Amino acid sequence: MKLKNYGIFIFLLTAYCLLLTAGEACAMHISEGILPLNWAALWFAVAIPFVALGMRKLKILSAQDLSIKPLVGLMAAIVFVVSLMPIPVPTAGTCSHPGGTAIPAILLGPSITVLITGVALLIQALFFAHGGLTTWGADVVSMGIMGAFSGIAVFKLIRKFNVSLALSAFFAGLISDWAIYFTTSVELAAGIRGDEPFWPLFTKILIAFIPTQLPLGIVEGAMTAGMVKLLFKRRADLLVKFGVIKAEEAAL
Amino acid sequence: MERGKSVETCKCFSEHFSKRHFLSGIDARVKLLVTLALLLMALSYKGIFFPMLVAVCSFTLCVRMGVPMRALLLRMAQPLLLAVVVLVLKCLFTGQDTLFVISLPTSHFPFLMLTGHWDGLMEGIRIASRIIGGVSLVIALGFATPFIEFVAALSWLRVPRPFIEIMMFAYRYLFVFLEDAETIYSAQKNRLGYAGLRKSLNSFGVLTGSLVLRGFEQSQKTADAMTQRGYTGDIPLLKSQPLKAAELAAAFIVVLAGGAVWMI
Repeated sequence: MKLKNYGIFIFLLTAYCLLLTAGEACAMHISEGILPLNWAALWFAVAIPFVALGMRKLKILSAQDLSIKPLVGLMAAIVFVVSLMPIPVPTAGTCSHPGGTAIPAILLGPSITVLITGVALLIQALFFAHGGLTTWGADVVSMGIMGAFSGIAVFKLIRKFNVSLALSAFFAGLISDWAIYFTTSVELAAGIRGDEPFWPLFTKILIAFIPTQLPLGIVEGAMTAGMVKLLFKRRADLLVKFGVIKAEEAAL
Repeated sequence: MERGKSVETCKCFSEHFSKRHFLSGIDARVKLLVTLALLLMALSYKGIFFPMLVAVCSFTLCVRMGVPMRALLLRMAQPLLLAVVVLVLKCLFTGQDTLFVISLPTSHFPFLMLTGHWDGLMEGIRIASRIIGGVSLVIALGFATPFIEFVAALSWLRVPRPFIEIMMFAYRYLFVFLEDAETIYSAQKNRLGYAGLRKSLNSFGVLTGSLVLRGFEQSQKTADAMTQRGYTGDIPLLKSQPLKAAELAAAFIVVLAGGAVWMI
């Protein structure tokens, strides 16, 4: 059926533009109700062991240092605040939120970051309708697990080639953000595809995210680099304490 | 980040709304269990009636609790946008039965043709209704339950203690960091820290770094202060009272009624 109705055309064009600017809504959090029960349960099952690993690590660390629990709690508050900050994304003409998980991953390690993300996501789901209770597992997998592990892997890999701290942190933030975006697309496509094939829908979601997420990754990279640079300038001892740099580097 | 945004964000927490409403006396565990049961039903329902009914009931509850309409709409804005996005995605990119074909002026390029599908649209409406139902239910729970009671309910549900402790620390310092972020941002903005892309990126990095620095310093101070008050690594939590039979019965009736509607 061919329609030459301008009203419908304008509606569809608006809808398509909405798709292109979907970043604000689905930048990082999968909203309550999007995933069917089976997918929600699967992502929960994937997330739980990682959260448990984080809690185990926290228990070991807090037995040695009583200030670790407050520190991890405060980092969760920071991730919460950072992931609620609206960042203008000029290419999409909208605002989006960074993931903020590369920062704790570099400082405290990936397994504790999964725990931090889990806590921040639960508070956001309940009190801000960002994410959801049933989609908590999927959000932990994308933001916590993928974001943290990819960020720290890139950071450590680049540091092996004697690249500067700030540049390594930049790429850690960048890749972490893009990994979150990629995983969220997988989760969304798998959850909403119904009987349709996975790949075509996944590709379309991935493309729909591009205008927001590609520049946002650069912002996240700059944010992570800025944070590491500032810490190195003012409190290099903390970076040494958490094993981010060696004591000799701090002395330079 | 706009000035005043963080203050507005803080106001969205339950504590900042009237504590005296008809649901405030009900045990948080009962509220949580009912919410989870209805959420599972809404998610597994094959049509749109049940999730929409849940949404209407949840909104009615919020209005009766005295939650301002603006706060409700603010919370719903993001999930609603997402619901529209999913609806459009499903309509345009999934399904078999063609509903419409829009040919753009350069229609010989197939990727510039938009085809809507009837079955895709229906599936999209179903997912959108699930989003609206699920989100409104969780919003109602959020407004009806103060944070500390929610934490006690999680503890009763055997959520591991380290998770709960981190949640409590995070909640305690959330407002401090929101205020800090706002203050730093305003100071940077007043000094043209966000004039141009390069400066903006740098300022944003400094803002985040400053928050992390404050986090480190504050955590040390907090640990010292807590140790002086006898902290040995565990935070005491609220002791759970026995559940009231009347509340349990009421919850059972609500879930049963929901189940009956779900089956129909």
